[in-house]
Amino acid sequence: MSVLKTPLSLVAIGCAFTSVAVMAEDSSLTNPNISAVLDGYYQSGDRAMSERAEGFGLGETELAISANIDDMFYGKMTAVLASHGGDTELELEEAFIQTMALPEGLSVRAGRFLSDVGYLNNQHLHTDSFADRPAAYRAFLGGHYFDDGLRVSIVAPTDIYWNLGLEVFQGDKMHAADEHGERDFSNLGVYTAFTKLGGDIGVDSSWQLGLAYLSNDNGKVIGEEENDHVDEGDAHGEHDHSAQYTGENTYIADFVYKWAPNGNYKYQHLTVSGEYFRVTDIFGVEELDLDHADEHDHGMLSEGATNDYHEGWYVSSVYQLSPNWSAGLRYGQVDTFEAHGDHLDPQKLKETEISLAWHNSHFSTVRMQYTHQQGTNFEGFEDDNIITLQYVMTLGAHGAHQF
Amino acid sequence: MHINSRMIKMAAGLALICSASANAELNVFACEPEYAALTLSLAPDAKVYSATTAMQDPHLVQARPSLIAKMRQADLVVCAGADLEIGWLPMLQMKASNNRVRSTDTGLFYAAEHTNTLDKLDSVDRSMGDVHAKGNPHLHFDPVKVLEVAQGLSAKLIQLDPDNKAAYTQALSQFSGQWQAKIPQWQQQAQSLKGKKVIAYHSSFRYLFNWTGIEQVADLEPKPGLAPTSSHLATLLARAEKGDVMAIIVASYQDERGAEWLAERANLKVVTLPMSVGGNEQSTDLISLYDSVLSLLNGVK
Repeated sequence: MSVLKTPLSLVAIGCAFTSVAVMAEDSSLTNPNISAVLDGYYQSGDRAMSERAEGFGLGETELAISANIDDMFYGKMTAVLASHGGDTELELEEAFIQTMALPEGLSVRAGRFLSDVGYLNNQHLHTDSFADRPAAYRAFLGGHYFDDGLRVSIVAPTDIYWNLGLEVFQGDKMHAADEHGERDFSNLGVYTAFTKLGGDIGVDSSWQLGLAYLSNDNGKVIGEEENDHVDEGDAHGEHDHSAQYTGENTYIADFVYKWAPNGNYKYQHLTVSGEYFRVTDIFGVEELDLDHADEHDHGMLSEGATNDYHEGWYVSSVYQLSPNWSAGLRYGQVDTFEAHGDHLDPQKLKETEISLAWHNSHFSTVRMQYTHQQGTNFEGFEDDNIITLQYVMTLGAHGAHQF
Repeated sequence: MHINSRMIKMAAGLALICSASANAELNVFACEPEYAALTLSLAPDAKVYSATTAMQDPHLVQARPSLIAKMRQADLVVCAGADLEIGWLPMLQMKASNNRVRSTDTGLFYAAEHTNTLDKLDSVDRSMGDVHAKGNPHLHFDPVKVLEVAQGLSAKLIQLDPDNKAAYTQALSQFSGQWQAKIPQWQQQAQSLKGKKVIAYHSSFRYLFNWTGIEQVADLEPKPGLAPTSSHLATLLARAEKGDVMAIIVASYQDERGAEWLAERANLKVVTLPMSVGGNEQSTDLISLYDSVLSLLNGVK
């Protein structure tokens, strides 16, 4: 995680913001699109694996600058200010260039960017209809997976939307827990392959289906004698984007269906979406340091245990009742394993969430959300009812609406 | 944007070779149905796709997969411009990865760049609502401006497909002839509307009102882009009770509830005008759209 600690860089970004925003009209090199997102909340309890803690807090306060660099390249930078336990961190969430002039539907993105696996992952958190990402995202992708790397994707010249892509990432955030710092992690850790298909059904409905595979060289957890591999401190203390539960292979299937009367999204529309995650090859012993004195103790994970996998899914439905009101319902669960000595302990988390949001315009949202979470052996989370009050407001350039 | 013009010609030439080899006819992506209709008049052989219908608010379109797929295959993208599509067009351009339709130097066409827009603003602030600094983009209800746009669009078609220059020139002169013949007739129909006062929703018909001399005395939206509120409607009721308002006008994609609430209390008629081609049964092309709108307005008195 790269954290810029110098106050100077903050000032520089601030100056860039004020000087150009005044005349912002068309995006160009001297006149880029600038936007800021303000996110604040009050939460009555703690959610498992969430970056939002109980009480009053600030979510991700985001500052983004984007522009066409020239006729070939587009660039975007998103800085995120996050406040955790009295510390304010400045983090670069996106800093990428994308080609705009390659032929045949090809494009290349390089730098730091959000991976295109799954449905929600390439969308910014502030566009969500709920205060937090689904538990499956928090468990397997660290909320939202962005990283340093390279993407090549191609859109097929077909009437049905068909997109294919490959990504390679450094993968630091997807490392398996390594409490003692004794592992050598490969520095090109994550490869992904994804495809998306989409189209319309008549004039009222649109759909998209996605399939993705993520290979994580550093995802397998090595068995240890006293393995509490999820450090509770990580989940609530530091601003930690790392995946909580990892494995060598992750498979993701996602769908989204949107409906609006006459295809007119202005007054009413419905979005139904869902994703399924399966993380396999989660524990292993073969990567152990051979000089390790306790070598033989690690072979004790039973054959059945090493075949186990993490799993998670959610289904979400959001109805925009009027330009001013929207209501959402989401159910999700994760089933994961923790290693304790020679066996794996299954654990489960279920979340049912209802949200009601008031929008004064496209740019301001005030949300009330009720979450019921039910944990079984899950980091000490049991039955909880949590109320969240949140605002999310956008200043500056229009954010384009992604499907 | 200042790019070497030779480069542009080379890029345009390359784009043409690619598209010509695949399909002789031009593949056109229109952002709104009025521009799909105009393109069809000027390029009858083109394959034209309209991203929206007259029943959809063109400000709020989803950058949905089907639109990405269509833009991926387009040789030409024709839009109103003046930031009307700013909420979705850049996303489509990014996702479609079609370098032929990214710049107005090549296969991108903004109607607003070929005429003068009304209500340009020197400074824009979000507290003013959803306004456009480049002026009102709903310019297809001014017959003179439509002619100017048609000329620009015809030149763009010729630039992209010079082999068929003669056909495009002929189609333009045919369209212009028909259109110019209709203008005096429309002006006559508009005569009795001059000076009439209406309450309308958004500035959707700004150009129509400007051209016909209709005066929009109030807006159902408290601010552009914001839905009518009950307190705002109450102030409109007070305005309507002066007794000089002819009708309440809404566009085919707009919600009629606020208008009906007001109409009932102020004893006024609600007139739903087609926003574009396809907005009602009568509007099958630009000429019948104008015919229908004027006959609906004349039907009120």
